[in-house]
Amino acid sequence: MSRVVKKSPSVCTDLPLDNTDICNKLSLLKQLLISCFGPAGRLKQIHNNIGGRVISTSTSSVLLSALSSSQPFINLIRTSVLNHVSRFNDCGLFTAILCLTLLEQAKQSGLRRNVSIIVNKHLLGLCTSYLQGQNCGCKVKLDFCSSQYFITLAFSVISSKPACVLTEPEALHISKLAVQAFLLTVPCNNTGVARLGKTLTVCVEGHPVLDSAVFPGLLVDMPDIFFLNAENLHGRSLCTVLFSASLAGDLCELGDGNIELHGDADTDSQILDQLLELGKQVVQDGVNLFVCQKVIHPVLQQYLRGQSVTVIERLGISLMESLSQLAGRFLHLFLIPPKAYGKVKELTIKQFGSKTMLHIHPSGESAICTMILCHRNDTMLSELKVVCQKTEHVLRLTLREPCALMGGGCTETHLAAYIRNKSASLLGCSQTEYLLGAEGFCRSLESVAAALDHKCGNSLTDLTHAHYWTLPADVVEDHMENSLGVCGCGLVESCPSKKWTYLNTKYPEFSPAPVSKGTHLQVRVLDSFTSKLSGLQVAVETANLALDVQYIIQDTN
Amino acid sequence: VMLGSTIINHRQHVGLQKLSALAEITRSSLGPNKNYKFIQDDTTGESTLVCSCFRILESLELTCSVGQVVYETIETHHRVYNTGSGCLLFLAGAWSHAALECLHRGISVRHIISAMSEGMEICLNVCRQCSISIKRREVSELCPFNVSTVKDSHAHQQLTPRASERPFNLGPQKKLKLSRHFRESESPSISTIHASQLCSYEPFFPDIAHIAETLSHGCTDAMNLVVKASQMQSECNQQDIAFDVTKVVTCVLPGLVEEQATVLPGCVVLVPAEQASVAHHLKEQHLKVALIHGDLAATYRHLGYNRPKGIQSVSDRLDLSRLSKEDTWMEKVVTLLLNLEVNVILVSGVASEKVIECCWRRNILVVEKVKASILKAFAVSTGAIPVTYATQLSKHCVGTGLKVSIWRDLSNNDRKRGTAVNITTDGLNCGLVTVILTSSVHAKLQTLEDQFWACAYRLHWALKDKALLPGAGVTEMVCIQHLQNEAEHDIRNPTESNGVSSQQNKPRTPANPYRDVVLTLMADGLKDYICTVMVNTGVFSKVGARAAVIQHLQDYHGTVGDVAAKFSQLFLHTDTCYNATPTSVESSETPAIKTYDNLCVKQEVWRKALDLVFLVLQTDAEVITGVDRKTNGAQEDLMFL
Repeated sequence: MSRVVKKSPSVCTDLPLDNTDICNKLSLLKQLLISCFGPAGRLKQIHNNIGGRVISTSTSSVLLSALSSSQPFINLIRTSVLNHVSRFNDCGLFTAILCLTLLEQAKQSGLRRNVSIIVNKHLLGLCTSYLQGQNCGCKVKLDFCSSQYFITLAFSVISSKPACVLTEPEALHISKLAVQAFLLTVPCNNTGVARLGKTLTVCVEGHPVLDSAVFPGLLVDMPDIFFLNAENLHGRSLCTVLFSASLAGDLCELGDGNIELHGDADTDSQILDQLLELGKQVVQDGVNLFVCQKVIHPVLQQYLRGQSVTVIERLGISLMESLSQLAGRFLHLFLIPPKAYGKVKELTIKQFGSKTMLHIHPSGESAICTMILCHRNDTMLSELKVVCQKTEHVLRLTLREPCALMGGGCTETHLAAYIRNKSASLLGCSQTEYLLGAEGFCRSLESVAAALDHKCGNSLTDLTHAHYWTLPADVVEDHMENSLGVCGCGLVESCPSKKWTYLNTKYPEFSPAPVSKGTHLQVRVLDSFTSKLSGLQVAVETANLALDVQYIIQDTN
Repeated sequence: VMLGSTIINHRQHVGLQKLSALAEITRSSLGPNKNYKFIQDDTTGESTLVCSCFRILESLELTCSVGQVVYETIETHHRVYNTGSGCLLFLAGAWSHAALECLHRGISVRHIISAMSEGMEICLNVCRQCSISIKRREVSELCPFNVSTVKDSHAHQQLTPRASERPFNLGPQKKLKLSRHFRESESPSISTIHASQLCSYEPFFPDIAHIAETLSHGCTDAMNLVVKASQMQSECNQQDIAFDVTKVVTCVLPGLVEEQATVLPGCVVLVPAEQASVAHHLKEQHLKVALIHGDLAATYRHLGYNRPKGIQSVSDRLDLSRLSKEDTWMEKVVTLLLNLEVNVILVSGVASEKVIECCWRRNILVVEKVKASILKAFAVSTGAIPVTYATQLSKHCVGTGLKVSIWRDLSNNDRKRGTAVNITTDGLNCGLVTVILTSSVHAKLQTLEDQFWACAYRLHWALKDKALLPGAGVTEMVCIQHLQNEAEHDIRNPTESNGVSSQQNKPRTPANPYRDVVLTLMADGLKDYICTVMVNTGVFSKVGARAAVIQHLQDYHGTVGDVAAKFSQLFLHTDTCYNATPTSVESSETPAIKTYDNLCVKQEVWRKALDLVFLVLQTDAEVITGVDRKTNGAQEDLMFL
């Protein structure tokens, strides 16, 4: 008997940004994300309500995927940021915080929504063209002849995630490995279409971070090294065959229908005969390494080993793809004896803690490498893995645009000073409205920089380069230049002639000067240019979209 | 999906409080005298007797997020190191207490972390400096003629900076004292001989025994078994120092008194009475063996084989006389086994009843559920090749030289468990050694096994490190002194940029104004650790231990070298447990340090403990996914997104 349930009417929310509940949630989300921001950020323990695994993190990709809300308006912003993160893997928190602050500032300014949108759009264009322009004062050109900038870039990403719990030498070690892995995945031969390689990550829990390493080629976990005998692994080039089809000897792809077999028919042994036939062919062709993505029938394995062929089974799809790239051959999908074989330089056995791995060395240049990540516990290791993938992505983005932005909040304050110095008259808003809107935009940028500071110190900017500085809370103003040290990115040093102003106070407009080339200081924090630029765009566009939302209609059934 | 989040109050960090409270459970399981704990499950009425920190945590079902992070860390550590879990949790608690105290005093998280990291560097440095190379110990302590010189050379050498990095570069005068070989010939050429060469003059077994004894930490019986195992391995490998912990297996036999614990070469399996008769028949013979990696049954298929669905068998005639598939298979297998003259089959999975019975009638011993590591060891030592299906067996898959003997008939105690059969290979054994652990109290077996593995791994790590740390709280004592010295240095020179570990090349990093406070509190955590161990020995009261430690630190203020040597005296004179079995080398009036710790384990434990504190300290909120507002709406500390 069916029951008719009365449909409940849809819920319509008018002007979501004026709704107190939504505003409270937005500010809670902002508070939550700001507290995670930067190297001194706080961690969040994420778990479900039935006692699932606990993740300690401050990474936007992990955090935002967990922070789903009952409120579609919040999810709109969340999804937009997550989309940016999935494309660029970096600057997620920057994007989210900037977007939320822009909304808050727009509300505080009291401007009409469409005016805010016009001003934001204009300023975004201003920022984008400044950042992409030749005389941008907060950009560093990356030099591929030296690895220094790349290590700094990697170090900035890695050290910005405190849940990895790394000491400085450890963070530096991982940064160097990340750069090394990145360089190994860039192919050198320039014939045809260049294709970036791949870094595979293997995590080893319970061992010191400094044991982490990068190897060219593939490292395959060998849980039972039962049959692996070292004599087979001589240092010679190995003719390799790769199968992606299962060689288990079963009839698994039958579909739904029934099959009638004669009682005497032994399908298993017939299939096995076929497999052995394949094995014979392969041995005849001089194959030394036989790899299958799935299971290989034990009898076939025994036969191949008897012919001193090294056998690897159950490799999995991702490793298989990399291996086919490494060996220079495509996969064989069928049980037909293949005619084309790949090449592998040699096989060695490597031991990492309790893990025994088979190291497959590429015969030529393959752009495939394996990164072994070690950490003392699983929580920190999983964060480290996420961060390393992020670093890899950030480093790859430098191939698209070989520059980086000054990190540590300096780009944000610099941009704010640049905008303040530019005046404009826009269609659709008065000069006062423009100034009000621009002030909100600049304050949003500055408050993202200030979000880096979690110890209730004071945030400052200098009046020459407009870089970002922090002043510890307990310092008297007389000793300011002594206790300031260097700016956020480490490129500007404090000196008595310098003038500072607190952020969020009025200061005279000036054109922020680029840092002179002659400085003896090394930049210490760099941000990815491409992902920060995209983050800026996503943040402003998402904020504009959110400002544009008039109604939310929610189907509650 | 809903989300709740709790913001942890800044000054009363709930997470740290939880961590600190959780660490209390390990208080009584520190040190050599451990107390057992009963853990009872109210819902099932089951209870377990536990002794180590790891087992306690394993038995408790921790639901809070901090608890889970703690358990995860301890579990990982235990899996790799097998020892030191209690120390890890205790120090995590002690240092989280220190971090709480810092927060109370208004010190920022960043300052706490930077100062504690520096403190950790200081402690790890102390470990490196205090570590004693095993090679040198062998030379010095082996020599029975110069008991008195051994003692004082130790007290000084262990604290020389970077002593471990130059273990063989001793001054000439010291060398003269170290070994009788130097006395006999005082030519300068001899003094340059590598110390390891000297070692070859001495028999090696007492060395391992000696090292092991200092690492027993109160578990003398367990350590004796470890030593026996290592001796057995050395004999068959013909190696000088051999202890391969991966080739040791334990076999737990309840019902026998603890004194019957022993070490046997090869492996020990329990077989039922019928199988035992086969074993009787086969003993004192050279046997042929087949190794099956999988189940021994007609229906068994290898891993990853998908049984076809929807297959119907049709037949054109009714043949009742035909043998079933299983019978055909059985006949094939038995014929094969008889042709190959196999006497013993070791199976990693299970064997079907029918097969066992069939083999029994033909005097073939079938042993089920053999560990993969044992299978592998026998593959190496007999030349057998493991196969998945019995039908795969061929001449070159069969190994030779296996021996079977009956270790003990347990059937009169308990009919089902039958007989303990010892399977070995004659001639060169593969180094596989079985340690039989026995107890008449069933509940104690787990603890005995844990203690054995803890001892085995302590020896394993010591040989791997090739170094030891002075134990019985001595290293901790030196750390306390170093930490306090650093803190005092700060108080005396407040304006100066922070001491040793701050890097010179950094452009004017603002000094950490709270470094002294944090370092002192960290030292207090270590003090608490030492005091707890002293109290647990049963000799000191809580107050007494504290007073003794403080007094000692004051007495030897500024003289880092002495604090260690003299402290160990203080400790050892009162602690009967450590003195339980004095060796010939150490006479009663020369209390050289007799308890040692592992270098790498201690360093890892400390680091991991601090990692836990940092993880929890830096966490300010908990994000709970999937919270239903209706059911949890009443909870005040939850905010919903």
